[in-house]
Amino acid sequence: MTLANASKPILRRDEAGGETVRYALFVLVAGLVALFFLMPIVWSIANSFKPAAEALADPVSLVSSAFSLENYRRLEGVGAGWTSYAANSVVVALGTVALTVLVAVPAGYGFSKFRFPGQTLLFVLVMATMMIPFQSILTPLFLILKWLRLQNSLFGLVLIYVTFQLPFSIFMMRNAFDAVPRALIEAARIDGASQWTILRRIMLPIALPGVATVAMFAFLNSWNEFLAALIFLSDQNKFTLPIMLVNVSSGIYGIIDWGALQAGITVTMVPCIVLFLSLQRYYVRGLTAGAVK
Amino acid sequence: MARLELKRVIKSYGNYEAVRGVDLDIADNEFVVFVGPSGCGKSTTLRMIAGLEHISGGEIAIDGRVVNRLQPGERDIAMVFQNYALYPHMSVAENMSFCLEQQRMPRAEIEARVRRAAETLHIGALLDRRPGQLSGGQRQRVAMGRAIVRNPKVFLFDEPLSNLDAKLRVQMRTEIKRLHQLIPTTTVYVTHDQIEAMTMADRVVVMNAGLIEQAGPPQELYHHPASRFVAGFIGSPSMNFLDARLEISGDDLVLVLADGLVLRVPEAKWARYRPHADEPVVFGIRPEAMSGTGGRAGAVALEVTVDLVEPLGAATMIYFDLAGATLCASIEPEHAPAAGSSMTLHLDMNRMHLFDAASGRAL
Repeated sequence: MTLANASKPILRRDEAGGETVRYALFVLVAGLVALFFLMPIVWSIANSFKPAAEALADPVSLVSSAFSLENYRRLEGVGAGWTSYAANSVVVALGTVALTVLVAVPAGYGFSKFRFPGQTLLFVLVMATMMIPFQSILTPLFLILKWLRLQNSLFGLVLIYVTFQLPFSIFMMRNAFDAVPRALIEAARIDGASQWTILRRIMLPIALPGVATVAMFAFLNSWNEFLAALIFLSDQNKFTLPIMLVNVSSGIYGIIDWGALQAGITVTMVPCIVLFLSLQRYYVRGLTAGAVK
Repeated sequence: MARLELKRVIKSYGNYEAVRGVDLDIADNEFVVFVGPSGCGKSTTLRMIAGLEHISGGEIAIDGRVVNRLQPGERDIAMVFQNYALYPHMSVAENMSFCLEQQRMPRAEIEARVRRAAETLHIGALLDRRPGQLSGGQRQRVAMGRAIVRNPKVFLFDEPLSNLDAKLRVQMRTEIKRLHQLIPTTTVYVTHDQIEAMTMADRVVVMNAGLIEQAGPPQELYHHPASRFVAGFIGSPSMNFLDARLEISGDDLVLVLADGLVLRVPEAKWARYRPHADEPVVFGIRPEAMSGTGGRAGAVALEVTVDLVEPLGAATMIYFDLAGATLCASIEPEHAPAAGSSMTLHLDMNRMHLFDAASGRAL
């Protein structure tokens, strides 16, 4: 009896010790993995604030002794200036977000809460377009835009992005609306609400995480897209940030200006990071909507 | 005045008829409870009254006006759902005022009505909370509040207590009944719980396989069930049934059970049952029609071996085998034997029931 009592605290200390070691190991491994993923971002940001000479110095150093905005100033001299390209990117990304949400929300609501002939076939057809490689239909898309007189137009580019964003967005919104109990719609119908009121006042606020997810994906994809923007835009003043990054070069031989390029990368990725971090709470809830009751 | 009439109401899904012609006339301020097993068509009937399901055939009229083609919001009804169906992103006050806003009622009138309803249901302190911050019972009250603010012609309840624990269910049952007394309104209440039906209803409608088996006051259904189904569904524990044959033995009318046991039918019932002599019947007797003490006129004494004893406090349930079936008797606790022992059980044959063996209709 005495022995048993005496041994108990020792066992507990051992267990606690083991737990601490396991936790420390977990933190160490997680920290290393996080560092691995964060390094390119940190590297870009750090390099963007170095003087031009230090950007190519050997041996390289992460943090410079001299803080400089020289790279950002040089970026202003690239083509029409980085602010113009950033403005174009903002217009295209916000336009894509607005149009995608405007179409995907009612479409997802329709697929989720209404039954109509050919519903499954139509949904499968919409989903099937996700399997078509974007690059394979660039030529017909170009011809369509030309016919619509929308080539070399930011609005035309927005339409292209919305087209490719819609299948996933409709799928997301359908899932988001599926997770809303049918009884809420029925209660609202009994309360005398119209379909529009039900969608606006009941369904949409509840399915907001889904909308946030759709909006975020639309923003990130259109913000970062390169190939379509390169092909459908020919006027230098209408280029978006990813195209600007390719054009960041200096000298008559087109040597890449690494310092300015890092500044450009920083300018391009910061809005994405801010948006992702601010919406991640909704984003996770949106993706898992309907997974469990 | 809000009379609710259902005339030959049918609901079919393809070839399957969920509701097969329901006829019912519900009087103004009457509290009617639809009860029956899962899939009997009770909820579908309620949803047709609400306008949430299309009516495949027949007619539903509220206050003399046929509502078949009216939208739910145009029927002047209010419904309390099984899962409450409160809008999770709105506060309690917003939940309650939503329907009034749809009617474009002046803000001051909306606030006055919400306040009044909240006082009636004792949820005044919860008006600023969201449904997620409420307990099950509080949510139930808010759902009822949402229904009463609009002062509807008909209240519809779709198994509103089934998500609550047993104690709260009993409490809310009383509150709904009290609310009906306070605000008399025509009410249709759906449940699968026969105790809820018995305790709350002015009239109980027992449904089975899409049809009304019997509609009547609770006591009538208990004492005079129209069929074996109703007899088995109403009452807890449910009625015991034994296959038997009705025979004339000399001057007596007797029941011969499957194992040859003979039970004498009381004289008072001869006129009713004699025409069915020599027919196979089902003998029904409620657990509470059996007793550990004799002495009553028309009682038959049986020697049984008790298999299982369930003391409930006020009564003790005993289970025993008779004529190839397991029977339950509710006896006085002081006469309860131990499991495995024998006892003399007295069957009050004046409270016996007989049903046609083929159709199940009461004889």
